[in-house]
Amino acid sequence: MIVILKGTQRRQHLGYFEQMFRLRHQVFIKDLGWPLPSANGREIDQYDVDDAVYFLDVTDDDILQASVRLVPSEHCSLVADYFPHLIETGAPARDPRVYECTRYFFLPLKGRGRDNRGARTRVLAAMVEWGLVNRLSHIQCVVDMAAFPGFVDMVPQTIPLGLPHPYGGGHGAPGGGDCIAFRWPVTREVADALHVYGRVVHRRAGNDPVRAAPKSRELIH
Amino acid sequence: MLERDQYGKRALDFVQRLQQLSTYEEISACVMKELEWFGFRHLTSFSIPAPGEKFKDCMWFNNRPPDYIERYSEQNYVLRDPVVTELRQNLTPYSWGDLRRNRPLKKEEIKIIDEAREWGSRDGMMIQIMTGSGSMSCFCPCGLEPDLTPRARAALEVIAIYSHHALKRAVLTTQRQEIEHVPLTRREREIMQWVAIGKSDEEIGQILSIATATVTQHVENAKRKLDALRRTYAVVQAIRLGEISV
Repeated sequence: MIVILKGTQRRQHLGYFEQMFRLRHQVFIKDLGWPLPSANGREIDQYDVDDAVYFLDVTDDDILQASVRLVPSEHCSLVADYFPHLIETGAPARDPRVYECTRYFFLPLKGRGRDNRGARTRVLAAMVEWGLVNRLSHIQCVVDMAAFPGFVDMVPQTIPLGLPHPYGGGHGAPGGGDCIAFRWPVTREVADALHVYGRVVHRRAGNDPVRAAPKSRELIH
Repeated sequence: MLERDQYGKRALDFVQRLQQLSTYEEISACVMKELEWFGFRHLTSFSIPAPGEKFKDCMWFNNRPPDYIERYSEQNYVLRDPVVTELRQNLTPYSWGDLRRNRPLKKEEIKIIDEAREWGSRDGMMIQIMTGSGSMSCFCPCGLEPDLTPRARAALEVIAIYSHHALKRAVLTTQRQEIEHVPLTRREREIMQWVAIGKSDEEIGQILSIATATVTQHVENAKRKLDALRRTYAVVQAIRLGEISV
């Protein structure tokens, strides 16, 4: 089930936020070794603002499986603040119709690569669908080059904003590597590409694609 | 803004061009044209086969000279070629020259790299691409004097990722269409043959002495089987899949 929360709903949905901040600490600080601020086993940063929108994939028992954060680039932009050199196209890093996607993770099921396609894409598909409703033009993101092919695989329309550059001391340094900035156009095609990749859409012979009704709960008021 | 050199603009323009293409022929021609600008003449692009998969089914592109491929295969170089064995310990892109400089190579390993010169390749890149499901693919362009400056390598990495996915997608789409193709009946083939030379349903009905509505029904059935919305595309698909000939 997809749960969509706004930063303003932190008190109302403390359980979900608590799970998310703790898992982010596990994934980004413990597993990936990123030098991020940490407070009591939670990872919370300056982009966890009221304007942030969180997309959570939770089980029927309310256990968090995947999450991604979307923030308006006009006010909160990792690209503008830390990685402006990644944009080589001349596109402005801050734009009212461009939101930035950060802190994306999903918990893979071991040895079930094919089944994990759905887990990988559900929150991303929900994010693009939300972008369509809210008339965004693009969603931008910075990723490690090792992860970038996965995003191109899911969405062939992925637009690179420049060439990869080293970060955190480059390859060989703990928590370092090469990273790249890219944008996804917020279009029906991109949302469908994610649905198809995650097998959310089932094609019946001779008919148009049929979208399986998403089991979602909209918590934005 | 774009950096002082042209590598960024070239790579981003290439991605934009590639995203407009759909057929394997168009994609491979576009990829090779771009690689030639960097001084690469040959390309091998493949995925590491999963258990039970055949290597030939995981090869997305290979235009190394056939006699070189034959020799490489006969000698079973794949087990000893340092460009390949380096994959066990190195998951970042590297060139053949990097291996010569950074790894103490055995005589036999040097011989394998040197032999490629006879077939037009002095240096090349090995770019690894991890897929979402955790399997690994390799994109290996090579040539006589390729441009391997740091910015060229960064551009090549982007080119490699998009090229690999585009080539793989084109191969798999063709395979899927062939597998999913439901054969036409004898009557549907006969009618599509007339459609191909521009006859209307009414004319076909008169030729075959059947009702126009029956012809229309057969054409609609054929369109569905050929995954086509229009008659013209149904004809193209029928020819491509060998159902009819013109």
